[in-house]
Amino acid sequence: MDSMALANNWQSNLIQSIEVGILIIEKDYSLRDWNKFMQNHTNRAIEDVAGQSIFSIFPELDKNWFQNKCDPVFSVKTPMFILWEQRPYLFKFESARPITSVSEFMYQNVTIFPVQNSAGEVEKLCVLVYDVTDQAISKQKIELLNAELEKSSRIDGLTGLFNRRYWQERFESDYKLAQRNENTPATLMMLDIDHFKKVNDTHGHQGGDSVIIKLADIIRETMRETDVVGRFGGEEFSILLPNTDINSAQIVAERLRKKCEDSTSIYDNTPISFKVSIGLAQFKLDYTTPMLWLEEADQALYSAKFEGRNRVCTA
Amino acid sequence: MSLPITICDDSKFAQRMLASSLPSEWDVDISYADNGEQAIENIKQGQADVLFLDLNMPVMDGYQVMQQIRDNDLPTMVIVISGDVQPEARKRILALGALDFIAKPIKSGILNEILEKFGVFCASDEVLEHAEQKTPQTRVTGVEAFTSQADKFDALQELANVAMGRAGESFGKILNQFIELPVPKVNLLHANELQMALVESTKNAKVSAVSKGFVAQGLSGEAIILFNDANADSLSELLGYSEHDMHRNVEALMDLSNIIIGACLNALSDALQLAFSHNTPIILGMHCDVKNLVESQSVKWKQVLMIEIEYSIANHSMDFELLFLIPEHHADAIFERMISSKLHNNDLSGAAHG
Repeated sequence: MDSMALANNWQSNLIQSIEVGILIIEKDYSLRDWNKFMQNHTNRAIEDVAGQSIFSIFPELDKNWFQNKCDPVFSVKTPMFILWEQRPYLFKFESARPITSVSEFMYQNVTIFPVQNSAGEVEKLCVLVYDVTDQAISKQKIELLNAELEKSSRIDGLTGLFNRRYWQERFESDYKLAQRNENTPATLMMLDIDHFKKVNDTHGHQGGDSVIIKLADIIRETMRETDVVGRFGGEEFSILLPNTDINSAQIVAERLRKKCEDSTSIYDNTPISFKVSIGLAQFKLDYTTPMLWLEEADQALYSAKFEGRNRVCTA
Repeated sequence: MSLPITICDDSKFAQRMLASSLPSEWDVDISYADNGEQAIENIKQGQADVLFLDLNMPVMDGYQVMQQIRDNDLPTMVIVISGDVQPEARKRILALGALDFIAKPIKSGILNEILEKFGVFCASDEVLEHAEQKTPQTRVTGVEAFTSQADKFDALQELANVAMGRAGESFGKILNQFIELPVPKVNLLHANELQMALVESTKNAKVSAVSKGFVAQGLSGEAIILFNDANADSLSELLGYSEHDMHRNVEALMDLSNIIIGACLNALSDALQLAFSHNTPIILGMHCDVKNLVESQSVKWKQVLMIEIEYSIANHSMDFELLFLIPEHHADAIFERMISSKLHNNDLSGAAHG
């Protein structure tokens, strides 16, 4: 058998015991040799597979894809690197730690490099297979954590609505959208609980919080999924209604106001009733900054307060 | 009477390399031009019966020069000498009327062959042999006189030029597309400037990036591919990945990086006579802001040499950028290797020919 033929040599020992899969492949994609790592993970001795096509030894290996990766190794004589991010594995092996690893299979980074003969022609390929399971799992965990972190950084803890920072981010991008699509209306709603200080003074801050939570629930069930709802400040809420003109917004706002008037929040077995004032402003091209639009809706809210509260005013 | 010739190349290093490769007993009067406009001027002044012309240059490139010569019927014979070794580049310039095309780096012997073929120079074998062995020392000041920083940047730019051409050819062949080659930019950056330079060069678009380290004989650096995400799908298509491939954009980015960086490093290996170890590349980021790729706080170096190569594929309005980043303290060593292996090469090939 034509094997690596380096017996009784420290290099041979190294090749056999290193925790990296090593394969030598001929130009016709038949297997010339592999090391012990490969033998142990496939449970096949080199004597049984040498000379066979790599694609019949590993039916999971996509022939076209693999040949495309190998072509430049022959033509450009450059090594090709395949990362687990593009393909989790080249050969389907079980995870090296079958009990405690969370992955069923071994993630692999693969290097294919040219083996040149004395004339400088690429005669064979050497394939190195690195076990990067732990690395891959950690990276996936971090990505998951980051996604959760990102989500939590957007959410107001008390109400579950968007917090002010994230709401403003969304508002600014929707403002740009409104600028571009001037034929599609969009309306901004600012909402504030009337005499909220009195609620806090009478029922304590926790009583006040229960009102805010109740209001958030009402808003959630009243608004559409496409509406962007945020807690703007203590008892102030901001809602962007895309695709909605001022008339439709007025209907929604009135419904919302009525629902609040009709409901109570229960805190410490005591029902607390509350009312809200609402200001509305439909997008106009005159609003050269998002701030101007926001100020206009705020102004309408101020009018609602000024005119006696528990009502909807428009800009 | 001496034959008036002009060497037109934006690199002074390349100008001198070529001048020192000319047969020493060829009776010529050499003028130089740093760009196409100067070359045209030289022709009009009668300083360029033969014009050695580079292709990728600022102000006016080699193709434009050829076009002007043809349009105005200017009296010169053009031999193009370029790092752009794509068959399409050769075809274009021959169609524009160039006598011949010589690939950089110029192999000794080729030049004499071509000069003789077109009858502008004729030497007996004996003289030729004698001449070639002496060439590097006898013709003008050689490249060993390069010492200032500007000179070094110029030499590195020329090195990048050749490497970029090789890589462009390899990738162009695989895509079956003509790759437009730019003039590489060489800059020395402070640590806090790298981020800014990256942001500037990507014009704030979302990018994906791959980085690979390389090292040989203690000289190390990093190669980075920056790819504008707007082009991701068309690159995937060009490389033959279907919409159903889950990771087709990562695949395409990796194919691109492997081939471009690999071929560039191969060319650098040849030029510097160094066998680089490539490390396994990492994906620096997918679809992210370029300023998040490099954290300016974490840098361990003060200054870095950046070679910037902006490839584009005109037919698909697609571009991507290759950056070579080399810690400043390695830049000098690379430059010295460049000079010594150039001289060494010349000596070797001269001797082999004789």
